[in-house]
Amino acid sequence: MKKTILAALALSLALTGCSSGLTIFSNYRRIENIELVRTITADKAEDGVRVSVYGTAGEENDARMYENTGPSIGVAMGEMILMPLGREAILSHTESMLVGEDFARERMGECLDYVERYSETRLDTGLLIVRGGAAIDLLKGLSGSDPAASDILAGLDKNISRVGEGYVFTCREVAASLAGNGVALVQCVRGVEEEKLFEARGDLNLEPDGFAVITEDGGAMEFLTEEETLGTMLLLMKLRSKNVDLPVQNTVSTVSVEKIRTSYEPVFGEDGRLLKLKVRLELSANLISMRGAADVTRREFREEAQTRLSGIMRDAAAGAVARSQAMGLDFLDLEGIVSRKEPIRLEDMPEAWESLFPTLPVEIRVESRLERTFDIVDPPEISGEEEKSPWEKLIESLKDN
Amino acid sequence: MGKTDRITERQLTVLIFVSLLSPMIRILPTAAVVFGGRSAWLSPFVAFVAGKLLLSFMNALRKKVPEGTGLADMVELGLGRGAGKVFNVLCALWLTFYAGFVCRSAAERLLSTVYPNGSVTVFIVVMLLIAVLTASGLTKSLSRTAEVLMPILVGVIAAVLLSAIPDVSGENLLPVTYRNARDILYGAVPIFNVMTGFVYFLFLSGHVRKDTSIRPNRFPWLVLLALTALGVTFFTLGTLGEKLAVSMENAFFMVIRNIRVFGVVERVEAVVVAVWIVTDFIFMAALLSIVAEIWRTVTGVKKRTAFVPVSAVLAGAAAFLIARDAFAFQKWSDVLIPAVNLTFTLILIPAAALVGRLRKKY
Repeated sequence: MKKTILAALALSLALTGCSSGLTIFSNYRRIENIELVRTITADKAEDGVRVSVYGTAGEENDARMYENTGPSIGVAMGEMILMPLGREAILSHTESMLVGEDFARERMGECLDYVERYSETRLDTGLLIVRGGAAIDLLKGLSGSDPAASDILAGLDKNISRVGEGYVFTCREVAASLAGNGVALVQCVRGVEEEKLFEARGDLNLEPDGFAVITEDGGAMEFLTEEETLGTMLLLMKLRSKNVDLPVQNTVSTVSVEKIRTSYEPVFGEDGRLLKLKVRLELSANLISMRGAADVTRREFREEAQTRLSGIMRDAAAGAVARSQAMGLDFLDLEGIVSRKEPIRLEDMPEAWESLFPTLPVEIRVESRLERTFDIVDPPEISGEEEKSPWEKLIESLKDN
Repeated sequence: MGKTDRITERQLTVLIFVSLLSPMIRILPTAAVVFGGRSAWLSPFVAFVAGKLLLSFMNALRKKVPEGTGLADMVELGLGRGAGKVFNVLCALWLTFYAGFVCRSAAERLLSTVYPNGSVTVFIVVMLLIAVLTASGLTKSLSRTAEVLMPILVGVIAAVLLSAIPDVSGENLLPVTYRNARDILYGAVPIFNVMTGFVYFLFLSGHVRKDTSIRPNRFPWLVLLALTALGVTFFTLGTLGEKLAVSMENAFFMVIRNIRVFGVVERVEAVVVAVWIVTDFIFMAALLSIVAEIWRTVTGVKKRTAFVPVSAVLAGAAAFLIARDAFAFQKWSDVLIPAVNLTFTLILIPAAALVGRLRKKY
């Protein structure tokens, strides 16, 4: 019996798939025979879709790109994955999917469906719409010998919310939003021709281009302006940082908004109707540069800077809400926010959210606070004020505050 | 029943836990979310209470049963030899079919997640072969295997779930109010359904030593199983949201596929697949052991070994014939199998065991 068991166990070694030879089911791939795909593109073609994969071969660092056309993403990718120069494309490490604007307008759902179903791709793949051109052209334009286009896209994914230009939603976030809310946001990018600063760079530069609003039923896709995108990021709490120029006193002061806190308060009437939604944005900013001269330690300076910053951010947030209401698409998920705050009152509301939403008054209040000015306060020779002793400055500062 | 093949109550409970992990991580969270919606992550608490009640009931019935008496013996004592044997045969046939279903489920899951171009035949045959080898051995070997594997399985599941924390969004889990109470109860049904599987393992209780100092009504396995259900449901729902989770066949696996540990380690799903395979293998082997144990009691022979390959062949046939494709199989999986399972574990078997107690047979 023991010999039989041993023989059976020995035979089971042939089932592991960890060698290319004596296995009945081999999933083994030699590293020199694979292409590690980092980016996928999909564009509209005359006879369907033009797809491409971009990545690196297993043993080499050179970026490689392959393309194919077919009636559907599944067919085009299926042919290409198994036949790029005899190597097999591995999609398990794909970081981003770029979709051309024309294709996204008609078949965005197919892109998401492919990522969700294919056994190698991950739902956390970043999704981007390329405006004003084909995704494959952008990828080709970005690719110099160094850096690779995928590195540029990875940098965008990581840093875009730190410069306040947008946020790369993943396929998971887009699919979940479409499934739950019927509408989703997708980050848009654009290729811009600029002078090459060094030879190894590609011909195009990558620029964020606001959010696209897409719907579950594949209806018309709309694009948000830069200001609306900023407002959307504020309201969705996706903004990590943003530098803003403020005309304060006789200066143009640049502040960096670092901390953002957004809170919501639905106000219901006695009859159970939702009367309005109060939104409160609390921003903390730091002065990072200044053109002109002013005493930044004075309360007047700070108050003016805070008021101007609040105004800019309030306009941005109000613009995003107004656009959402005008479109009749709750891409800010205000219904979800109200339902988490007041689930029972929302359920009992006499009016359906869909009919209420386009005219719902949304009151936005922004409170900004200038936290610090870093080491340079106000050299008197720049501002032209008389030099004061440290004691005088302290007493003045105490009076101010 | 040979005196050499004895296990402790703890070993039996570990075997139950490791075996039931297999269906638990297969059906969750989708089954619970379908019924319980967004609030399904609270359902494991309800399922735990219900499971505890059933466990206490069955333990109370077993309390005065002498050592060496399994559930099949209890049924024969309670219902009388004739009716008891008929009932036991009915249980054996159902469990053989159920083993086939479990085997096919394991194969389908591997195909839909990892090996899209593979064949169910390979997985079914291999699974049955390994299960036959294990079930042909002693019950204590199987229990000991489960005991050795349990910390690894628990560790892997805990590590994987903790790694998923960054993706969890409270927006997908809230709000939950008292109005969701009905949803929470509905969501508990599939989880409770899996938990009730412990009743089948009582057919092996004849192997349990009575002289052990460990109290028979211990239920840490139930706590662990409920925690697993909670973790799987909470993290999947929190990551994908209700609608997306429901639309996916293996939502938990999709979450696992996205895990990145400190931005360094990714694609950890292979570890989870290993957990699946191990639990499927233990569950299959345990089911074949249970079926063979019932046949041994019914026929009165000393050794159950001969019944294992026969049961495996029948289970294999069931696995192949149960459905032509994944769509047809899904229908079995959604309604019929859970319904029959619950009928056996919640009504027929407890009722049969209760009759003996009422007739003061034990």
